[in-house]
Formats: sequence, structure tokens, C-alpha cells
Amino acid sequence: MEEPIDIAGCLQRWKEGDEVAAEELIRHLFPVISKIVRTHLPRRDEEKDLVQEILMKTFSRLHQYKGDAPITHWVSRLALTTCLDRLRAQKIRPELRRADLTPEESEVFDAAWLTGSSPDAGEAIAARDLADKILSALSPEDRSLILMVDLEGRSLREISETTGWSVSKIKMRLFRVRPQLRQMIHKLEERK
Amino acid sequence: MNMKSKEDGKWRGLLLRSAPTFTGEADLPYGFITGTLARLRAEKRQQEELDRIGWRALLASLAALAIAVTVTLSVNFKDRGGDLEPGVRSLVQMENIQVS
Repeated sequence: MEEPIDIAGCLQRWKEGDEVAAEELIRHLFPVISKIVRTHLPRRDEEKDLVQEILMKTFSRLHQYKGDAPITHWVSRLALTTCLDRLRAQKIRPELRRADLTPEESEVFDAAWLTGSSPDAGEAIAARDLADKILSALSPEDRSLILMVDLEGRSLREISETTGWSVSKIKMRLFRVRPQLRQMIHKLEERK
Repeated sequence: MNMKSKEDGKWRGLLLRSAPTFTGEADLPYGFITGTLARLRAEKRQQEELDRIGWRALLASLAALAIAVTVTLSVNFKDRGGDLEPGVRSLVQMENIQVS
């Protein structure tokens, strides 16, 4: 696949100590990493620091990049793994109750059916916070999988390429996590 | 509508409403490049320092090993019959017995 910048040239120049090459690589990789971090980590986590940490890892492991796939694929996997490690360090919430929701989250939950109107910034943030709360009851891998399928609409093959998990493992995980997610939504609905 | 699709619909509706918050940054935050390059420089320096220390430590251990081997061999060479008990050794010296 054609890269918009000369990756091999950049890597060589960076090895020789050219910081302009490093800057080009950072500019090229930043949007990819930023998107992954923003999707897979809860909203309040320190995003900028984590993006920088992933870039540090990327540069320290650049010698492992073989060039047989676009560098963004290679970096995506590294970014996702780092996010999963970060999520593993966080506590998994056992159960979410209606009483745990803020008034804004409760309101956005009730309005989740109404797909016609586009949400304002406040509603979007409340919806995101609620989605984060629901997802925090899942394991980091299940959480990321659900977001890749339901939010990003990625195919099983694409997910397999990014995560390194086999397609059958992904299917199995989805089969197991879907009822768990439904049950959580059902409980929130029930305790109105 | 059954329960399954009702809950799935609710979940998808929630994700749809939160979608704007999932969009990644296209533009770099102010000072991000400078900060990242500074960290890269620091890590590179640290790595070079570690490499240098590593080489020095390796050379020092090799030198210490060489000295230890030399001392052991020279003591061994001088102290032939050193495997005798002290009493036996003094007897050998007194009687001037040849020990091969």
C-alpha cells in the first residue's frame, strides 16, 4: 500500500539523527494514535500523555517494523495493546445501577431511542460518560471489541489484523459479551 | 419488538449520541511536537549513556577476570605441592624430600 510519506526514508534519516524526519513521522502517526486512544480509553483519561507514550514506544521499536504492511497498521496494534494494558490497570465495575447515573446520563439514556435529532455537545458528553460506565463492567478486550464492531463498524477480519486474535476467537468473545451488554441495558431500563 | 433488539437499539442509540466524542484529533495540540522531540532526545541520550556504561562495565569485568586468572595461575605455579597438609609440607621441607 502506498504511504503518503516516505516511511523508509524517514526511518533512515531518523536513525542518522535527523529530527525533521522524526517530526514528519509524529505528524503522520498522531491522528491514527489519537483516534485509537480516544475510542478505547474512557473520556477522562489523560489522552495526550498516552499518545506521547505510544509514540515513544513506536520510536523505540521502529527497528522491528519490517515494512510489509503500512506503518499505520503496525502502530495501530501497538496503540491498542497499550490502551488494553492501561485498561487492565483500572478496576472493573461489577454492576451499574440506575442510581449510579447522573441526571444528564439518565436523561440521555431515556432519549437514546430518538435518533432523529443530532445531540449537542453536552448530550454527547453525557452519552459518552454513560457508555464508558456501561463498558467499564466488561473486560478490556471485550470493551475494545464492542467498540470496534458497534462504533467503528469494522469487519472481523480487520479486527483480527489489528488485534492478532483469530476470527473464531473474536466470534466467541462477541457471542459471550453481547448478552452481558444487553443485560446491563435491561437492568438500567428496569429500575426507572 | 423483542427484548434483544430493544436493548441493542438502545445501546446503538447511545453510541450514536456519543459519536462526536470518539473523533480523534487531526491537529496536534500546541507544544506536542516540541515535547515529544524533547522526550525522544532524552531517551536517545539515556540509551547512549547506558550503552557506554554497559561497554565500560564489560571491559572492567574482562580486565578483572584476566587479573584473577593471572594471579591464580602464578600462585599455582609458585606453590607446587600446595595440596599437601601443612604438617606434611613442613616435614617435606625439613627432610628435603623431593615431591614431584
